[in-house]
Amino acid sequence: MELNFIDLGLTNILFLFIVGFVGGLVSGFIGSGGAFVLTPAMMNMGVPAIMAVASNICHKFPKALVGAVKRAKYGQVDVKLGLVMGVSAEVGVLIGAQIQEHITETFGKAGSNLYVSTVFVVVLAIVGSYVLRDAWKMYYSGNADKEEVGPVARWIQSIRIPGTMMYFKAIGAEISVLFTIPLGFATGMLAATIAVGGFIGVPAMIYLLGVPSLMASATELVIAFVMGLGGTIKYAWGGFVDIRLAMIILAGSLFGIQLGAIGTTYVKPYLVKVVMGVLMILVLFSRGIVIPVYLAELNMLFTLDPNTATWLKDASFVILILALGVGATIVLHGLWSGYREHLRELALVTTTTAGVMRMETALTPLSPFGRFERLLLVTDGSEFSSGAAREGINFAHVCKSHVYALSVVGNGNEALAMPVLEKERQQALANLQHLKTSASQVGVSCDSVLRYGVAVHEEILTEMENHRIDLIVMGRRGRSGLTQWLLGSTTTKMLGQAHTSLLIVPKAAPAIGKRLLVAIDGSRYGDAAAAAAGHLMKCWQASLTVVTVVTEDQPKQSAEMADLVNQTVRLLQRDGIAAEGQVIRGDNPAAAIAATATAKGIDLIVMGTHGRTGLDKWLMGSIAERVIHLSECAVLVVKF
Amino acid sequence: MSKSVTHTQIVSYTLLFGLTSGMLYFLLYWFEDLILEWSKRGGWYFLVPIAIAFTFSLVHGKFTGHFWDLLGVKAKSDNS
Repeated sequence: MELNFIDLGLTNILFLFIVGFVGGLVSGFIGSGGAFVLTPAMMNMGVPAIMAVASNICHKFPKALVGAVKRAKYGQVDVKLGLVMGVSAEVGVLIGAQIQEHITETFGKAGSNLYVSTVFVVVLAIVGSYVLRDAWKMYYSGNADKEEVGPVARWIQSIRIPGTMMYFKAIGAEISVLFTIPLGFATGMLAATIAVGGFIGVPAMIYLLGVPSLMASATELVIAFVMGLGGTIKYAWGGFVDIRLAMIILAGSLFGIQLGAIGTTYVKPYLVKVVMGVLMILVLFSRGIVIPVYLAELNMLFTLDPNTATWLKDASFVILILALGVGATIVLHGLWSGYREHLRELALVTTTTAGVMRMETALTPLSPFGRFERLLLVTDGSEFSSGAAREGINFAHVCKSHVYALSVVGNGNEALAMPVLEKERQQALANLQHLKTSASQVGVSCDSVLRYGVAVHEEILTEMENHRIDLIVMGRRGRSGLTQWLLGSTTTKMLGQAHTSLLIVPKAAPAIGKRLLVAIDGSRYGDAAAAAAGHLMKCWQASLTVVTVVTEDQPKQSAEMADLVNQTVRLLQRDGIAAEGQVIRGDNPAAAIAATATAKGIDLIVMGTHGRTGLDKWLMGSIAERVIHLSECAVLVVKF
Repeated sequence: MSKSVTHTQIVSYTLLFGLTSGMLYFLLYWFEDLILEWSKRGGWYFLVPIAIAFTFSLVHGKFTGHFWDLLGVKAKSDNS
C-alpha cells in the first residue's frame, strides 16, 4: 500500500504538542488516555487512518515507559503483574484487530464504526458508572484514604489452582494466572477496538484482582508499554509509522506524563476513579451520538440528512476533546489542592490537636481550636436568623465572648430604588439595636456593624478579617436540592471560604448547652473538632458523646474506628471531661450523624471540615454541609 | 533523584538534557526525508522508528523530569 506522509505546518505541530501534553497528563494519572483524541485529530489533518493509528501507538510506548519508570520510583508499579497482563494483552490486540478487519470486510467502514461505537457505549456505560459510583462511595465512607478489597477480588484471591499461582506485590497475595491472562486479553481486545485498553484494564485490576487504584493505574503503564511496543513493531514492519508525528506528540506528552505521575503522590485514591469515570462517561456520549450516523449509512432503521450527520460527527469530536480537557482539569486541580494540603500538614505537624489536649500549657490559649473570644453574629432580621441571634448571645454569655452583630443591606439588588434601600437600612439598624439590647441584658458586650453589598458572604469575610473573628454565628436557609445546587447559599460559601469556625443554627434549634456530640473520622480535622468540644465542655456542664461513622461495606474499619473513639474519650476524660463514645453504622455518614443527634436529643453537633472548595466540592460535596442541612440542632464546624 | 542533588546540579541536568533533546529534534527535522524514506520501506527498517522512539524517550524524558523539578513541582515526600 502506497501512503504519503503529510506536510507539517506550525499550527498542526502546536496542536499535536498540546493534545500530547494533555493526553500525557491524564495518562500519567490514570494509566491511559489521550489516544482516543489523537488518532481522529491526525486523521482530520489528512493523515491516512492506518498511519494515524500507527503514529499514535508509536508515541504511546515511549510515553508509557517514561511514566512507568517515574511511578515505579514512587513504589506504585507492579512490574511482574504489568508484564504478565501486557503479554496476554498483546494477544488480545492481535485477535481484536483481526475481528475488526473481518467486520470491515463484511459490513464495510460504517459497519466497523458501528461495532466500535456500540462496544464503546456498552462497555463504558457499565464500567464507567460502576467506577464513578465506587468513587462516590469511597468519598462518603468518611475515609477516602482507604480502599477495601471487593468481594469478587476476595473470591478470586481465595481460589488456588496448583501450578498456576503467582505472587504479585500489588495484591500482596498469590493469584492464579488463569485469572490475569483473560483480563490482559480483554484489555488488549478493547485497546484494539477503542484504542483505550486502560478503560477496562485498570477497573479489572481494581475490582477483580484487588489491586489498589494508584497501583492499578501505574501498572497499566507497563501494560501500555508492552502493547505499544508490539503494535509499533507490527505497523513499522508495514512502513506505516510517521515518526515525526509520533515524536511531536511525545514532546508534549512527556511533559504531561511527568506532571500526572507527580500528581498521584498528592491525591487520594478515589480521585483516580473520579477522573477515569468522568472520562468514560464523556467518551461514551461522544461515541453514542454518532451511532445514528452509522445506522443511517448502513441503511438500517432510518436515513439521515448529510448536514445532520456532519454535525453529529463534529459534535462527537468536540466532546472527545472536552473529555480530555475535563480529565486534565481534575488532575491539575487534584495536584494543586493536594500540594496546598501537604504544605498545611507540614506546617501543623508539630501542633496536632491530640497534643493540644494532652498538654495544657501557658500557650494553650493560643490554640485556635477552642478559642471563642470574638463572635461575628450574622443576622438579616428574618425568622431564619432568629435561632442564630438567640444562640449566638447565649454562646457569648457562656464563653465570655465579645459579639459583633452584622447586617448586610442591598443583597442582590444593585439597582435598588433609594426609598426601598433606605427602608431596608432602617429595618437592619432597628434589628441590630434590638440585638445589642438583648446582649447587654445578659452582660454580653456587643458592637453592631452595617454593611452594604451584593455578595453577603464577601461582606462577612471582610468583617471576619477586620475583627480577627474566632467564630461566625449564622442561621440556615431552607434551600435544598436543585435550588441549593444552582444558587448555593451563604452558609455553603462560608464553609468553603471562611478561615474561622462556624456555628450554624436552624431557627427552631434547641438551646445549646445540655448534650453535645462530636463527630470524628481519624483526620486532623476530626481531632480539631474534639479539641474544640473539649474546650466547650469546660464552659457548659453538658454531656458529650464522641461518635464516628463506619459504612456497612467496610467492616474491617469498625475495630479501628472503635479504638479511635476510645482513645479520644480517654484523652477527654484525662482532661476532666465526662464523655462517652459510640461507633455508628450507616452508608451515609451525614445522615447517620444527624439521625444519632436527633435520637439522643443532642443540642450541638461539633465537627471538622476538610474545607474543600471549587471543583472538588462540586464533584463530591461536603459531609459537614450535609449534616448542617439534615440536622435539627445547631452545628459547630471547626475550621483552622 | 537523590536528596543530595543541589539546585546547581538540577539546573545543569535540565540544560544538558534540554539541549540534547533540542538537538535530537533538530536532527529529526534536518534528516526528515531520509528518515521518512527508511520508515516507509518497512521490514527490518522497523528498527529505525523504534530506535528513534527509545532515544527520544530517554533524553526528552530526562529533560522533562528535571524541568518540573527545576520549577519546584516535586512528588510528595515526608520531608519535602
